[in-house]
Amino acid sequence: MIGTILGVYEDEELLISALQKLQDEKIEISEVLTPYPVHEVFKIMKRKTRLPLATFLFCVLGVILTYLFLYWASVLSYPLIFGGKPLNSIPSFILICFVMMIFFGVFLSVIAFFVRSKLYPGKKAKIHYPRITDNAFVIMIDKKPEMSSNDIKQLNSILKDHGAVEVLEK
Amino acid sequence: MEENYSVSLTFKSIIQGSIILGVITFGLGLYFNTEKTWANFLLNNYYFISIVIGATFFLAIQYVTQSGWSAMFARIPHAIGMYMPLAAIILFLIFGMHSVYHWSIPGVAENNPGIEHKSSYLNIPFFFIRIVFFLALWIFMIRLLRKTSLKEDHASNLKYFYKSEYYSKIYIFILSISFSLLTFDLIMSIDVDWFSTIFAVKNFVSAFYHGVSVITLIVILLYRKGCFKDLNEAHLRYFSRYIFILGIIWAYLWFVQYLLIWFANIQEETIYYVIRTEGKLKIFFFLDIILNWAIPFSILLSARTNTNKLVLIIVCIILIIGQWLDLYFQIMPGSVGELNIGYIEIGLFAGFAGLFIFIVNRALTKIPLIPKNHPFLGESISSHLD
Repeated sequence: MIGTILGVYEDEELLISALQKLQDEKIEISEVLTPYPVHEVFKIMKRKTRLPLATFLFCVLGVILTYLFLYWASVLSYPLIFGGKPLNSIPSFILICFVMMIFFGVFLSVIAFFVRSKLYPGKKAKIHYPRITDNAFVIMIDKKPEMSSNDIKQLNSILKDHGAVEVLEK
Repeated sequence: MEENYSVSLTFKSIIQGSIILGVITFGLGLYFNTEKTWANFLLNNYYFISIVIGATFFLAIQYVTQSGWSAMFARIPHAIGMYMPLAAIILFLIFGMHSVYHWSIPGVAENNPGIEHKSSYLNIPFFFIRIVFFLALWIFMIRLLRKTSLKEDHASNLKYFYKSEYYSKIYIFILSISFSLLTFDLIMSIDVDWFSTIFAVKNFVSAFYHGVSVITLIVILLYRKGCFKDLNEAHLRYFSRYIFILGIIWAYLWFVQYLLIWFANIQEETIYYVIRTEGKLKIFFFLDIILNWAIPFSILLSARTNTNKLVLIIVCIILIIGQWLDLYFQIMPGSVGELNIGYIEIGLFAGFAGLFIFIVNRALTKIPLIPKNHPFLGESISSHLD
């Protein structure tokens, strides 16, 4: 028996109470789909993100690469003194480094996010439940081979007890 | 909600000791090294005025934006504001004008075309009239805000809250003009040939920055004493966000002032940085940006460290030193010259800090620490991170 169970909710608080219950019963939740970000979901599922760290590293990379380029351009490749400034004039490099830091940070973060969540332009969206982009909150639980039909019935009843409008099996 | 605290006798005697130390140092310094003593007198006076301005500006901002999270801590800026009447000791500077301000020496302005056209604004009587006027204005506004907040404790409607908000708007308007002019008078006129149009903004942000860090430090120390039992991660994060963002603005303005002068390379302007980047002062030039920006920025960047109380205490102490260093860097090269930190610097700072702590402590123990009928009190107590 392989497939997924979908519990559909119409209220944020009901969703959170159901999540809490499932977490207490140590049932593995594969995905929670919400029409807008709900911070408690993050907290309850104990998910961690390393995206901020990645952004920080991209920014450092951006600063280093930009500085190397500026150094190459204004000291090695085309050394030209203007305005009495030294060739390697760090104060004026800071501005360009700063702007390029933002550029690298933003673009590489977005790309990292796309890679990590396996998205690409033109990918066909996988709709698990038609109302998910409108007003429905969905909890997805993967069925496992070792689950008996009794277990699944119990799961269904947990989802129903906490106010699920609908429980689907796929 | 009677949540007042008491301080130990040792603490009180340390405070009194440091005030006495300050007075003795002031006397000795005047006898042995008059010039340096007056420059330090100015530095410490300006230091604590700027902290009071920053803290009360923070309070006014909270009222104007109707921020919920900070309602619990409103009494701390109020208590810091009580120092303002004492800032009037800066008027003693009239006896030491010639040691600090080059332009005040008779005959200097007449022979120097760069200063002469400023002399209708920069002359000793008008200088002190302005200071008295600004101080009176600020004391009046701070008292008004405090009185309104105290009346709110016994009120049952929102009348006093709206009043506070209205007074805060006026206070912000007054501050933006008057504090800018005060920084011009007290600090920028030391290097009288030089001027920077971004100077007032930089010092205003600096005051706000360090005022907030003093508030944060007091909140955490009081929490350790058993007050503010509802202090949680959310409040700490809001405080560290304030410090973090103001650090970035401070560094931005510091850099903009430096970059423009460095890039334009006009003789009258660059001389300001030339004397500050030569010899021993070069260390201060870099320490200034490291203490006031690099360390707080890199420590508070991570979400794990910016809600840690010990980390915040360390950052606040670094910033308190940093503000002193920043002012030293701005005041001393123009008035005294060489970098030389001795007993005068330490003793006078100890004296003024003792006075400041004494006043704030007395003001905090006098009134209930948490405002009673503030409309956002519930929201403040139940603030949480999402």
